[in-house]
Amino acid sequence: MATSFSLSNFLSFLLPSNPPPPPPKAAPLNNLSLSSQKPKNNNPLSVSAKEDQSSSLSTDLSSVICPSLAYANTLFFASPYNVQIVVDDDEPEERVLNRFRREVMRAGVIQECKRRKFHENKQDEKKRKSREAAKRNRRRRPQSRSFVPNNQEEPTKKRDDDDEDNWDMPDDGNIPN
Amino acid sequence: PKVGSRRNGRSGARKSARRIPKGVIHVQASFNNTIVTVTDVRGRVISWSSAGTCGFRGTRRGTPFAAQTAAGNAIRAVVDQGMQRAEVMIKGPGLGRDGALRAIRRSGILFRFVRDVTPMPHNGCRPPKKRRV
Repeated sequence: MATSFSLSNFLSFLLPSNPPPPPPKAAPLNNLSLSSQKPKNNNPLSVSAKEDQSSSLSTDLSSVICPSLAYANTLFFASPYNVQIVVDDDEPEERVLNRFRREVMRAGVIQECKRRKFHENKQDEKKRKSREAAKRNRRRRPQSRSFVPNNQEEPTKKRDDDDEDNWDMPDDGNIPN
Repeated sequence: PKVGSRRNGRSGARKSARRIPKGVIHVQASFNNTIVTVTDVRGRVISWSSAGTCGFRGTRRGTPFAAQTAAGNAIRAVVDQGMQRAEVMIKGPGLGRDGALRAIRRSGILFRFVRDVTPMPHNGCRPPKKRRV
């Protein structure tokens, strides 16, 4: 339901003959036009945070086709938000909570808040960034197992080289003094 | 947008019996406390409650259970005014987020959207220095 609503909203911008459907809240923003948009979206940190709706398809599509309209859904509501969940009335309470928690974790809201509570100097920032990068790379690169056979090859090669060397003294006896 | 309310006289003095079917529930969850405010769609406050006013003091104010009771109190005061539908806006990092959401869900108010409106600077003001505890 959320996907279709946002898609139809987005497409209505492309077809100027159709009036945009009324937003769910009685917001006074019906006179939206391409020129008067200002992005009110917060949290530009991660791509997941830019997904205003809980479905990612519509935002991917809109950000590809027309970047300025990518956050058009945010503008329908009076206040900008980081995360939004659409709740049906029959959903069990635990599921709502879990969905909300998952979305918030994906957006990284709480982490971000904790980081901004106190000032961090450049040293701390570098440490934090390297830690985050390590965590991200460690999770995405389990194919680095190919390094292990190389290590076994190199010591054996070195031993062969040593064996081929000739460590004996010359047989002639004509060693220059 | 609040200019219109002044034309009607000081409506804030009257304990208004306006029936608002739809409102917004704001939950501000900090690390030490949780404040639940119920407003109408325009943002005018109808009633509020917090973990501190519910009788918890000190470290217990920040717990999710305290947030639950605060949310319950706030909504009970508003359900009498006939509010059926609401939207939930949650602000701040704190344990009260889950507790308040749970209590709102249990209270029977239908809500369509749950939003997180934690204010995020785009690298704005410099925050206070680190604590050396």
